[in-house]
Amino acid sequence: MATVLLVEDDPAARQGLELALRRLGYGVRAAETGEAALRDFQGAAADVVVLDVMLPGLDGFEVCRRLRRGSDIPVIMLTARGDDLDIVGGLEAGADDYVVKPVEPRVLDARIRAVIRRTARAGAPAETYGELMIDRGSLIVRRAGRDVSLTPTELRLLLVLSGSPRQVFSREQLLDLVWEHDYLGDSRLVDACVQRLRAKIETDTSEPRYIQTVRGFGYRFGPV
Amino acid sequence: MRKRLIIAFIVVALLAALASSWFHTLIGAYRLPAWLDDVIFGPGWLRSLVHTDPGQPAPHPVRHTALLFFGVAAGLVLAMITTAAIAASRRVLLPVRRLARAAQRMSGGDLSVRIQPRGRDELAQLVTSFNGMAAALEDKVGELEQMEARARQYAGDVSHELRTPLTAMTAVTDILHEHPGLTGDAAAAARLVRQEVLHLNRLVEDLIEISRFDAGTAQLVTDDTDVATVVGRCLRARSWTDVSADVPAGLTVRLDRRRFDVILANLVGNAMRHGALPVAVTAGLQPDGEGGTRLTVDVRDHGDGLPPAAIPHLFDRFYKADTARARSEGSGLGLAIAWENARLHGGHIDAGNHPGGGAMFTVSLPANGRFPVSGTEPQAEPARL
Repeated sequence: MATVLLVEDDPAARQGLELALRRLGYGVRAAETGEAALRDFQGAAADVVVLDVMLPGLDGFEVCRRLRRGSDIPVIMLTARGDDLDIVGGLEAGADDYVVKPVEPRVLDARIRAVIRRTARAGAPAETYGELMIDRGSLIVRRAGRDVSLTPTELRLLLVLSGSPRQVFSREQLLDLVWEHDYLGDSRLVDACVQRLRAKIETDTSEPRYIQTVRGFGYRFGPV
Repeated sequence: MRKRLIIAFIVVALLAALASSWFHTLIGAYRLPAWLDDVIFGPGWLRSLVHTDPGQPAPHPVRHTALLFFGVAAGLVLAMITTAAIAASRRVLLPVRRLARAAQRMSGGDLSVRIQPRGRDELAQLVTSFNGMAAALEDKVGELEQMEARARQYAGDVSHELRTPLTAMTAVTDILHEHPGLTGDAAAAARLVRQEVLHLNRLVEDLIEISRFDAGTAQLVTDDTDVATVVGRCLRARSWTDVSADVPAGLTVRLDRRRFDVILANLVGNAMRHGALPVAVTAGLQPDGEGGTRLTVDVRDHGDGLPPAAIPHLFDRFYKADTARARSEGSGLGLAIAWENARLHGGHIDAGNHPGGGAMFTVSLPANGRFPVSGTEPQAEPARL
């Protein structure tokens, strides 16, 4: 089962979430501060980080940014406020998803499952679009011959969009297909993930070639 | 002002000259009454001026000249007095006018208005008192505003603080609740704890939501939305299978899906709790009378209807129509939140009774996407996301 790195400064909340996650079958390593989490992360592998925004010392945004520098580990922000500033800040820092405290264990479980999932399609041939190579079998994406490192969410967004080139997906559809959110998901997640994905695969993010915006409707892959 | 003074001076002087000339013609031919003659020509200086021969009455033409001289002098004095009076009245009128203007601005809501006092007279005192009153009023209003802001901030802070312990409790109540070792009273207690923790969660969530509206930080995130889909999903997600929905297919309106869901869920939930089945949701477009269209959504139940006295208070926070009623499963903020969400869209909610029986709530939102706050769109992505 997956290992969760839980970063939460409040002892009761930390202990409660740890108990709940263990009960759901996750391995849990808990850290009290951002600094401790970054040290822990370098020492041992984890599959997902559940990160509180309000931390003493380095805050959640900064921890997320530092994690992102060397890793594509999925990050779920745990926000105590649910305020737009917190959400937008977390998404800018590179978080894959967020949950608002207090979170019910089954909701956290569903979110974790969604962000760590990497589903390979066995035997699928590698597809090439311009400079971009997508291999659904081995889940490898190359741009101009070089591996592109993507988080599971970014990868799944790319796979969904490129799975039906030229088809327009609404942000609501993408939230459902990629994040597996219920119908009230936050469409800003999609916009933020598209921006990160573009930064990794597009030559010029202001003139995107692969992930294109369709005004008023959503996004589509190509035409390349 | 100065021009007017000069004109007034000239006019008065001219009038005085005319009057003296008229006076001269009128009385010059006659003898003045003895007492007036004495008054005018009595003093030695004037008599010496016009009398070549003291002791003798002045000759006729000389008297005329004296009278003319006297008339012109009187006119000049009159002109000077008029000028002085106008100048004095200006000194009075100008501050009064400034005071009136300041009072007008103050009644218009500008409490920062002050007048520069001039001089030390009663008017200056009045101006000083006015300034004092304005300052006191400004202080008081500022204090009240601060108190209100503090109270709102406090409600928000308390709710935020409650979230951390609630996080721990919410995370572990399931463990307790699902524990196979608990039976009888212990199991019932665990169930009660779980239920009330969830209730507390909802209450805190709603308090935070309300404090966001109070602080003005609530934002619309709008999308082109198929109304039938959202209505259907709202009802399905809450297992309200016996609520009927009548929404035209293909009705697409630009709105904040989450907030619209909150409005609908609160109104339907309210109808289910306080009204009676059947509950029906009907949506459609209506002209708004200003060339645009509005999305109207009716939520009607078939219960006893709303007590007329309760209707004006339905959207008040924590308002309960029946004070004897036990705490309902809602937070008591549901309708207030629905109302705020409608307002954020530039719309409103009306409550009343249907002529055919039962309560009816009508949500009315602008359907042409002209919202007070612009939403996000894929093409309008913030550059730094």
